Amino acid sequence: MTTLPKVGIVDYGMGNLWSLTSALTHVGAHVVLVDRPDDLPHFSHLVLPGVGSFRRASERLAESGLGDAIVDRVNHGGSVLLGICLGMQLMGVGSPEDGWSPGLNLVPVTTERFHDEEVERRRIPHIGFASTRFPQGNEGLFAGLRETTDFYFVHSYRMLPEGDLGATAVCDYGVSYLAGFDRGNVCATQFHPEKSQQQGLHLLRNFVDRKP
Amino acid sequence: MLKRLVFTLLYDNGSFVLSRNFRLQRVGDVRWLKRNYHFGTVAESIDELVILDVTRGQRDLPRFCSAVRSVTEACFVPVAVGGGISSMSTVEQLLLAGADKVVVNSLLVDDPGEVAAIAEVIGAQSVVASIDVRRGDDRTPWVVISQAERETGRTLFEHVQAVTSMPIGELYVNSVDQDGTGMGLDLEMVAQLGDGFSQPLILAGGVGHSQHLFQGLSLPTVSAVATANLLNFVGDGLQRARTELRERGVPLAVFGL
Repeated sequence: MTTLPKVGIVDYGMGNLWSLTSALTHVGAHVVLVDRPDDLPHFSHLVLPGVGSFRRASERLAESGLGDAIVDRVNHGGSVLLGICLGMQLMGVGSPEDGWSPGLNLVPVTTERFHDEEVERRRIPHIGFASTRFPQGNEGLFAGLRETTDFYFVHSYRMLPEGDLGATAVCDYGVSYLAGFDRGNVCATQFHPEKSQQQGLHLLRNFVDRKP
Repeated sequence: MLKRLVFTLLYDNGSFVLSRNFRLQRVGDVRWLKRNYHFGTVAESIDELVILDVTRGQRDLPRFCSAVRSVTEACFVPVAVGGGISSMSTVEQLLLAGADKVVVNSLLVDDPGEVAAIAEVIGAQSVVASIDVRRGDDRTPWVVISQAERETGRTLFEHVQAVTSMPIGELYVNSVDQDGTGMGLDLEMVAQLGDGFSQPLILAGGVGHSQHLFQGLSLPTVSAVATANLLNFVGDGLQRARTELRERGVPLAVFGL
């Protein structure tokens, strides 16, 4: 093998990857879809996408061996990982969606459904562009973005900004919840950068340009 | 809650078209749209894109899907796709082509069970209920389907009552009479919808300039206004309209760095 492909999108059957592939390609990445654990070592950058059921995603990551392979690459192999939407939630401890299912345990945060008392009468799922801020300053994955930046969200479950997450992004929907984080080789967004206009592309470019 | 500017691309048998009162005029493919209508700039100024296959007669789904792919390849906003959806198998193809949501119209009358089946798989929030309205001589807002070729005998109010009890995430209400005229939205429809629903409302048909967008978006129950007319917002027209609307106090997302 000569030059290695740069960004591997983990393809485990959870949602359509066309938009994400297009957006990463647009910012200059060489994008490959990966569905075999053995192929993960070829990539300096990994993206864990996903929409749909946490339980099904958790099972697929476990059964395919992709989950263990991702954790191994991040902890010992020198890859940087970006989780998006359900992909971010899967990087945490777990979720009670359809009964408890474990996450990859890369960050010490649990996913929960928006509580009724948090969101009061706001609609669930939370859909649309929403204002996102960066309490530790806009650095790392969030470098170069406006102090508050609008990103596109679709979700009914959320993580809260607790524990050691490095630089975080936070969004308010009755409750201040975790919109993203950057802790060096693990980073993630609850929103969809590939659906968030130029600011989303900028964030993806920050990820792609990162040295593992 | 932020409001939305939506652009609707109409596709007919291989190319994109402009519509006036649902009569179609061919314009070109995606590259043509980008070159001659600055569609790239338009795409950077909208919150959401809708792509509808309004082909009369036999549709070619694979060809439509490839047109959708070529648009979504360089348009980084949520995309809703529809036109002639009659089953989940069509929906699956559209999702693979880059659709985040699907738009159903005639199916709401012809087969509500299939609408429910689609919502069961992709989630009600991803199903947009499109409603076309044509006013009678006494100005009664009648709902028409199959690209305004079939009458339903339902008034807008009756149809909305039926539709909003189905598992759908949004309403997209278009005026056949105002469509493509640039004469302004049919704002009267908003009151005629009733208030017995909680889904976001997208209003379409008749937008000619930014004042029309402002009139629609100023109504508390209107979440979004859609325009399908590239000619009225040629060049950076939509970008300027977006800035102007924000300056006039319409809560719209800020794009860019």
